[in-house]
Amino acid sequence: MVGLSEGEKHFIHGGIAQDIRTDGRRRLQFRALSVHTGVIPQAGFRTCLVASMCLFLLFLSGNALRVYVSSDWWLLVLQANGSAHVRLGATEIIASVKAELGKPSILHPDKGKVSIFVDCSPTAEPMFEGRGSEELSAELSVALQRCLLGGKSGAGAAIDLSSLIVVEGKVCWDLYIDGLVVSSDGNLLDALSAAIKVALSDTGIPKVNVSLSAASDEEPEVDVSDEEFLQFDTSSVPVIITLTKVGRHYIVDATSEEESQMSSAVSVSVNRHGQICGLTKRGGAGLDPSVILDMISVAKHVSQQFISLLDSEIAAAEAEAEE
Amino acid sequence: MKDRHLSLNQTQRVRLEAALHELQSLAPAAASAAAVTVADTIPVNQEDNILKGHGTSDQDGEVVATLCGVVERVNKLVYVRTLKARYKPEVGDIIVGRVIEIAPKRWRLEINFSQDAVLMLSSMNLPDGIQRRRTAVDELNMRSIFEENDVICAEVRGFQHDGSLHLQARSEKYGKLERGQLLMVPPYLVKRKKQHFHHLEQYNVDLILGCNGFIWVGEHVVVGEKTKTTGGQQRFSTEAENFTPLETRKHICRLANAVRVLSALGFTLIVELIIETMEASVSSNVEINDMLGAEFYVQTAEREAKRRADLLRKKNGASSREGQLLMVPPYLVKKKQHFHHLEQYNVDLILGCNGFIWVCDMNYVAWEICNSLARLYEYLISQAIECPSQSVQVTNTFVKNLWRGFMRVPCAK
Repeated sequence: MVGLSEGEKHFIHGGIAQDIRTDGRRRLQFRALSVHTGVIPQAGFRTCLVASMCLFLLFLSGNALRVYVSSDWWLLVLQANGSAHVRLGATEIIASVKAELGKPSILHPDKGKVSIFVDCSPTAEPMFEGRGSEELSAELSVALQRCLLGGKSGAGAAIDLSSLIVVEGKVCWDLYIDGLVVSSDGNLLDALSAAIKVALSDTGIPKVNVSLSAASDEEPEVDVSDEEFLQFDTSSVPVIITLTKVGRHYIVDATSEEESQMSSAVSVSVNRHGQICGLTKRGGAGLDPSVILDMISVAKHVSQQFISLLDSEIAAAEAEAEE
Repeated sequence: MKDRHLSLNQTQRVRLEAALHELQSLAPAAASAAAVTVADTIPVNQEDNILKGHGTSDQDGEVVATLCGVVERVNKLVYVRTLKARYKPEVGDIIVGRVIEIAPKRWRLEINFSQDAVLMLSSMNLPDGIQRRRTAVDELNMRSIFEENDVICAEVRGFQHDGSLHLQARSEKYGKLERGQLLMVPPYLVKRKKQHFHHLEQYNVDLILGCNGFIWVGEHVVVGEKTKTTGGQQRFSTEAENFTPLETRKHICRLANAVRVLSALGFTLIVELIIETMEASVSSNVEINDMLGAEFYVQTAEREAKRRADLLRKKNGASSREGQLLMVPPYLVKKKQHFHHLEQYNVDLILGCNGFIWVCDMNYVAWEICNSLARLYEYLISQAIECPSQSVQVTNTFVKNLWRGFMRVPCAK
């Protein structure tokens, strides 16, 4: 992150106060959003093809290569049940969802498990090399878990965990949701939540046939079908809207320059029905409670437009994938 | 600049490809002939002792390129010059840089070069403007002139022995840049011209095209105020009165977005093109933010393709050279008015005292007029040779008279 001179900081503050940011956006306007689904092939498809060189270097050595992605370039040995590549301005996120069979926890025998993990690639910033990105990744993972997975008891989760159960108490689906930050230009949390929502909409859980002749205390035999898939219902998955407070005004979708000038940022996770599913505050400056309530109402208003935009993009991406 | 990617729909993609294809065909053939990619063989004469420079390698006796770029030949040296390389400085370049460190008696600037540039305290005008030796107090007060992360424009003074750059900022027009935004584009898009500081009066905006690819778009600052110290001025506060006025800010954002679009398309950045792009966006009522969208991107590519096609058509319509040089015996040209612009024919006529006459067409006038004047002068010369006793004085009125009665050139006049 390059530093900013006093003059440039003053210009940014002035732009936000006058409602014209450095690239001409208004305060509550998002950058251009582009969505691709199915970037990582599903299990059973194209698994033996040669891995693309760019991606190999990207994942292994963290070279500073620029990777331009479109869904027909991705020929990977890795598989995923659902994947998405989302670009929000210059911020690029790749999200993947993998489903594996596992045992449910003893406390919740009727619920499956979901775990979310975020990794920042060194192609985004040189400082993300090695362990440099641990703190940021941990912060992002925790924020996403809080917004999408609900409380400790599993209540209020965005994904219906009981739909992941196969045999109660014995076999359930474990979902591993991974987010990879390829390019970072601010507003990582919003882009990650959008990418996860798109990846979940692209996810197909294989149908499972349970053999009925198993004894009650033995491990049941399950037959995972390769052909039939159940699509996830993502209409209740929330999106995260981050409001960054700069000076006396809030902006949506801050670039990394604007984020460096923030006093505090509040990330609100809102679902389609306008309900708040999670709340995270970053930044050292204190906020008056009335300010927080105001930010929440602004986030609710902005989220409805963002959700409808995201839904139309998902539909367009799915239509393109079917062609 | 972080790369941006646009999602184009089908029609936009088709239009963009058509525009880029047209631009490719309009480019001079010589430029594309010398372009090589990795593993292309470079045609060399095998008998000469060719020196293989950067970007080449010897493979089975052939010279093969190891980079993507343009082949350059200098005497016996053959090398490949990449396009998107780091900035290559030359003495006298105007650059924009950011201070990263304050070292004893100097500032270190980052200018998109392989090393940091150095601006010595002695190469900088002191705030009080007096020319004097820099004392220890001056050295301690360096931070009051430029701080870390300040954006400065300066000029390249020379190279040090280890290859790093020395800058100087002695003139009034150099100094700290405030109240604006800095854009970073690939350095090869900014060509060296006569002027890099552009004050756009109609918008009250300063546009500085640094040769290193750093472009500053900001509010206009009266020359002479750049070297004021921050200690003397009021500190920037977040009061509304101190902010850039709204109209100026809109112009700054539009110009910045025009630069972003042009650099994304890979077009050379010249002021006229930037202003034209900006005005096109205003006239087609494109929102400032939508200038970075797919539609305006495609429109800009189409507009540039059309502009270059028109330019080439005009050039081909007129003579393939811009003008003609005629050589007549020097005694025919008397010392009178020598520069003639004949408006009625839109022709420039320069009568050199040494007998060289330059006839060139302005505004792409028809080939016939130029050709006719050439024939006219050849006729004159032939006449002079035939009647050496009479010198034919070549003056403007004479030409006009001759033109009217072209076929009746008298021997004696």
